[in-house]
Amino acid sequence: MLEVNFNKSLGHFTLNSSFKADKGVLGILGSSGCGKSMTLKCIAGLYKPDKGMIKLNDRVLYCSDFKINIPSRNRNIGYVFQNYALFPHLTVQKNIAYGVKHLEKNERLAKVGEMIERMQLKGLENNYPSQLSGGQQQRTALARTLIRQPELLLLDEPFSALDTHIKYLLEKELVSIIKDNFDGIVLLVTHNIEEAYRICDNIMVIDQGQNLQYGKKEEIIHSPANVSTARITGCKNFLDVTVLEELEHEVVLKAKDLVFKAEKRNIPYSRNMVAGVRAHHLRLSSTGDYGGSSFVCDIVEKIEGVFSTTVIVNCMGCTFQVEVAKAACPHLLGCGGKKIKLHIPPHQVFLMKRET
Amino acid sequence: MGDINLFPLYLSFRVAITATIFSFFIGLPIAYFLSRGKGKLLDFIDTLTNLPVVLPPTVLGYYLLVLLGRQSPIGIFLESNFNIMIVFTPTGAVIASAVVAIPYLIKSSKTAFLEVNEDYLNAARLLGRNEFNIFCTVIVPIAWRGIAAGITMSFVRALGDFGTTLMVSGSIPNKTMTMPIAIYDALQAGNKIMANLLVLIMTGVAVVVLFIINMLERKMKRG
Repeated sequence: MLEVNFNKSLGHFTLNSSFKADKGVLGILGSSGCGKSMTLKCIAGLYKPDKGMIKLNDRVLYCSDFKINIPSRNRNIGYVFQNYALFPHLTVQKNIAYGVKHLEKNERLAKVGEMIERMQLKGLENNYPSQLSGGQQQRTALARTLIRQPELLLLDEPFSALDTHIKYLLEKELVSIIKDNFDGIVLLVTHNIEEAYRICDNIMVIDQGQNLQYGKKEEIIHSPANVSTARITGCKNFLDVTVLEELEHEVVLKAKDLVFKAEKRNIPYSRNMVAGVRAHHLRLSSTGDYGGSSFVCDIVEKIEGVFSTTVIVNCMGCTFQVEVAKAACPHLLGCGGKKIKLHIPPHQVFLMKRET
Repeated sequence: MGDINLFPLYLSFRVAITATIFSFFIGLPIAYFLSRGKGKLLDFIDTLTNLPVVLPPTVLGYYLLVLLGRQSPIGIFLESNFNIMIVFTPTGAVIASAVVAIPYLIKSSKTAFLEVNEDYLNAARLLGRNEFNIFCTVIVPIAWRGIAAGITMSFVRALGDFGTTLMVSGSIPNKTMTMPIAIYDALQAGNKIMANLLVLIMTGVAVVVLFIINMLERKMKRG
């Protein structure tokens, strides 16, 4: 169990971090400069918070009240850096052995040998990091960290410097290595919601140094608690709405001239709110009708991606971004100005407090 | 007059090597602290370490005389307690050339230290090593080419120093007369053979050292 509650100021920027994490992978999601890396560095002891407390499995690592600040080297925390930070002047074997120098020689060599075997690095013992592929570098970095049997593993954007095709492979490999070799708490810092969703069990969203939301990944995607969380998790459509009526299962919303419905959820409703709906949940159709939640709209613009097309439509004064699979809707391509229908599924619409 | 006395050659190398060793042990920790920290005090020290490069050698020599001369507190202390005199001795020559040489070592090592990626240090910290250990096992091995370039550069500077050494240790033949001073002296006395020989040696050393530094820097860039 990791318990974190601290704040740290850096110029005009203040980082407030407060959360608990249990065994499993917790993703820390945020845009660059939001303080997610700083959070990891404070937990690792590379930066000192101004105030607060950090506790790992009943061991206090940092406490401003009792002036406790255990140095990084004694925290028993594993850290995988963005570019792995393998020592360029040491071979694979010596890199892995670097953290277990305190062991007696035979035991050390045996442990390193076992780790090399387990990480499929056999035959590469005497290579230098510059001679390794990305996957081999990642495995060496994990071996170097896991050989110390850390209680907590911190992953600081491990894939952000990689090409897309190799990123996928390394991600899969990382997940399986961690599953097989590490039974503790893992924190993964990333700015990529897809990556966080694939790897993590729980997600914490950070923006401008503040924790915005923390919960199961499905819950974060399904019902973001505020506009920033929705934006960081990839939501494109936001509407200022007036809540006209609260029914038993639905609420009736009005944005400009558009009146539509949203599923009723367990949140406090007020008159003026923001409604969000993700681009891939909206449907466009020229023929079909989805009942009461379909509206006539005009196509404003189309942006073609590799696998999907983003269509920007105007629906009674409101602008929506709709993501359409290319193959699914060939009839939409090349039909500028044509009248079609926009379907807004009520159970995919979430309401958030209006931020001032 | 065509006598060839190779004592200056011997003395110069002895003085330069000793001065380089001193600048290494004093300069390397300074370079490390300058590369690690930030702040007004460190900026001030940084400026101070560069002063010997900018100041005229005579001015530098004058300061050393004031600081270490027989009338200065340090000079009186050393003379009365240990019977050590600095002015007009080879020790003075070592100190003078070390002061001239040390900025080059600090500058080159500092640059090399700064180029060591902070992540390597953080990784080492989390792998259980303390700062001194990290300095020896990570920083120096990664930055060694820059340090080596600094050592060679400070060696040539120490070897070639004229003005400051002359001010502090004078030009006593067979006692404190180093090569650069001997060249001047030989020219004054009209001993062309001696002057030519010493000039040739100095030039040879300079060329070799420049070659080494170039090689190190090229390799450093390649990584």
